[in-house]
Amino acid sequence: MRAKISLILLAGLLAAGSSQAASLYAGQSKAAAVCSQCHGIRNPSADAPFPPLAGRDPEYLKTAIKQYRDKTRKSDIMNAIAGSLTDAEINDIASYYGSVKP
Amino acid sequence: MKTTKTKRLNQSLTLSSLALLLSTGAAWAKSDNMHQLYQDNCASCHGSDHGGYLAPALNADTLKGRSPTALRTIVMAGSFDTLMPPFYGKLSDDEIRGVIKHLQETPKQPNPAWTIDDMKKSLKVYVKDESTLPAKPTFQIDEKFENLIGVAARGKYGRGEGSKAIFINSATHQKVGEVSTGTAAHIIDFNPANPRWAYVKTDTAEIFKVDLYSMQAVRSIKTGWNGPGMGVSRDGKYIMAGSFVPHNAVILDADTLEPLKTFELEGTDPDGKHVSSDSGMIIGTPYADIFAIALENAGQVWVVDLKKEGFPVTRIENVGHHLHDAFLTHGGKKLMIASYDDSIVAAIDLEKREIIKKLEAGCVPHVGGGSAVKVDGRTLGFGTNFGDCDKTVVSVWDLDKMEVVKQVPVSGGTESPAAHANAPYVAVDIISKDRRARTIQLIDKKTLEVVKTLDVGGHAYFPEYSADGKFLYVSAGYNGDEVVVYDSNTLQKVASVPMESPAGIFSRGRVKYMTRGLSPDEMEQGK
Repeated sequence: MRAKISLILLAGLLAAGSSQAASLYAGQSKAAAVCSQCHGIRNPSADAPFPPLAGRDPEYLKTAIKQYRDKTRKSDIMNAIAGSLTDAEINDIASYYGSVKP
Repeated sequence: MKTTKTKRLNQSLTLSSLALLLSTGAAWAKSDNMHQLYQDNCASCHGSDHGGYLAPALNADTLKGRSPTALRTIVMAGSFDTLMPPFYGKLSDDEIRGVIKHLQETPKQPNPAWTIDDMKKSLKVYVKDESTLPAKPTFQIDEKFENLIGVAARGKYGRGEGSKAIFINSATHQKVGEVSTGTAAHIIDFNPANPRWAYVKTDTAEIFKVDLYSMQAVRSIKTGWNGPGMGVSRDGKYIMAGSFVPHNAVILDADTLEPLKTFELEGTDPDGKHVSSDSGMIIGTPYADIFAIALENAGQVWVVDLKKEGFPVTRIENVGHHLHDAFLTHGGKKLMIASYDDSIVAAIDLEKREIIKKLEAGCVPHVGGGSAVKVDGRTLGFGTNFGDCDKTVVSVWDLDKMEVVKQVPVSGGTESPAAHANAPYVAVDIISKDRRARTIQLIDKKTLEVVKTLDVGGHAYFPEYSADGKFLYVSAGYNGDEVVVYDSNTLQKVASVPMESPAGIFSRGRVKYMTRGLSPDEMEQGK
């Protein structure tokens, strides 16, 4: 019983703190797999038309990705890519890119 | 007047206006334009003949039955864990649809020509009077000019601004120069006789003569459509270059880059069939004025005499099925050459011009630049394997007895081994297409066991030691976008050099060691 309560408490804490408790490590691996092909890690290709993400405000990145995900901001390619991301992943990715020095 | 209608892909102002800008002037998807579009964007990796090169063949046969929609997605978004970049925003949607239609209708081309006259016409001179070049390096580097390391930075698109040869001082880990190459640099060779010259070959077979003292290209020539093969003679007077497309090789004057003689690569393969052949590795050796060149499909090694009239060829036949790369040993008198399809490495005596022995070599051997080290009186050769089959090993051979010493199990397919007389470990790059591709593994020279795995990032490949053996350089390639430097003994990361999609790393020390890992004395034996 006690174990159950503490688990629920823990889950509650994690959920409440989720905007802060991003995992940079998970963000790094997700960014490498999903974003870096176009946006690079530090910089996109010198020849690429994609905007850099490194060093951007994480809150801005989160909002933008979520808008792409719910298609309030339209882009064939970003709607498709963002559509596969969960809130937690978006949080991780935004925090990771925010932490990278361009 | 060309139609310049561009279909809007999205509402995002920045992206769509950029896409519009980039595709302005591009016509509707006409198939004659699509040929050029393929050559300008795809052919450096997929092959000018549509037959594949670093990347898969794209033609009516290979793409039969593939969904155009699925192909369009790959072209737009790129392919994760490969060098395939996203062409979204670089090509319009009509162009992408057009080129896919074009590819699904186009058969593989039969060996498109690139003749000695085409080569001559392609010669470009950037510095007319070489006597105006500085007499010494214009940057800080050691007196002997040994600490120079060149990196082939591919650039994300395999061409464009990101494609460069980048040079680093391995004492400070600082960039000392960069030379734009237009398309992806693949091989960097240093002139053994004059330290100021390097030669950079691109995936579209241009060779740049680079003045390392002032870090600029002085001349260039296009030697073919595709193909990495290049070697420099021991006297620094000749370059030999070989192509995948077309099936030829050429000897150039290393000073002027003027082509002197071309060779049609053809011969009887080990199965008795007469075939036209891609060029594999080309190597000059410190022991004689010769080049050795591998004919990939013909399974032959040709030895070309540079001091005889007309550059005559001695053919060594039946070396193996699908030859690729090689390294030298015994003062440059012996050549260890990998044969993909037989999973062997053939030892060749370049003096007698005959096969010594064929040695077991794991699964699809790709020896890269190869490595050889002296351990307890024995000279051990190390060979990596491209293949991702059950047997992922690095083969270790006793190069005096020409026998297998051990097959060291490693965590995946490997592409290039690095060794140094002063470094305790032989580094191999794991290239299996999953998280393992981020890593390199280190084999203890004495115990011949893997003792450490380094998580480098990106697609980690082409390890190379600095000339003094103190540092290990590794490319975090693909999207890793940096070269990572480790202390050779502690294996701690000591530096990072950012660049776009780095690949091959070439120490100027190579001219001193002949094969990575040997001491300079080894080369003396050949003289």
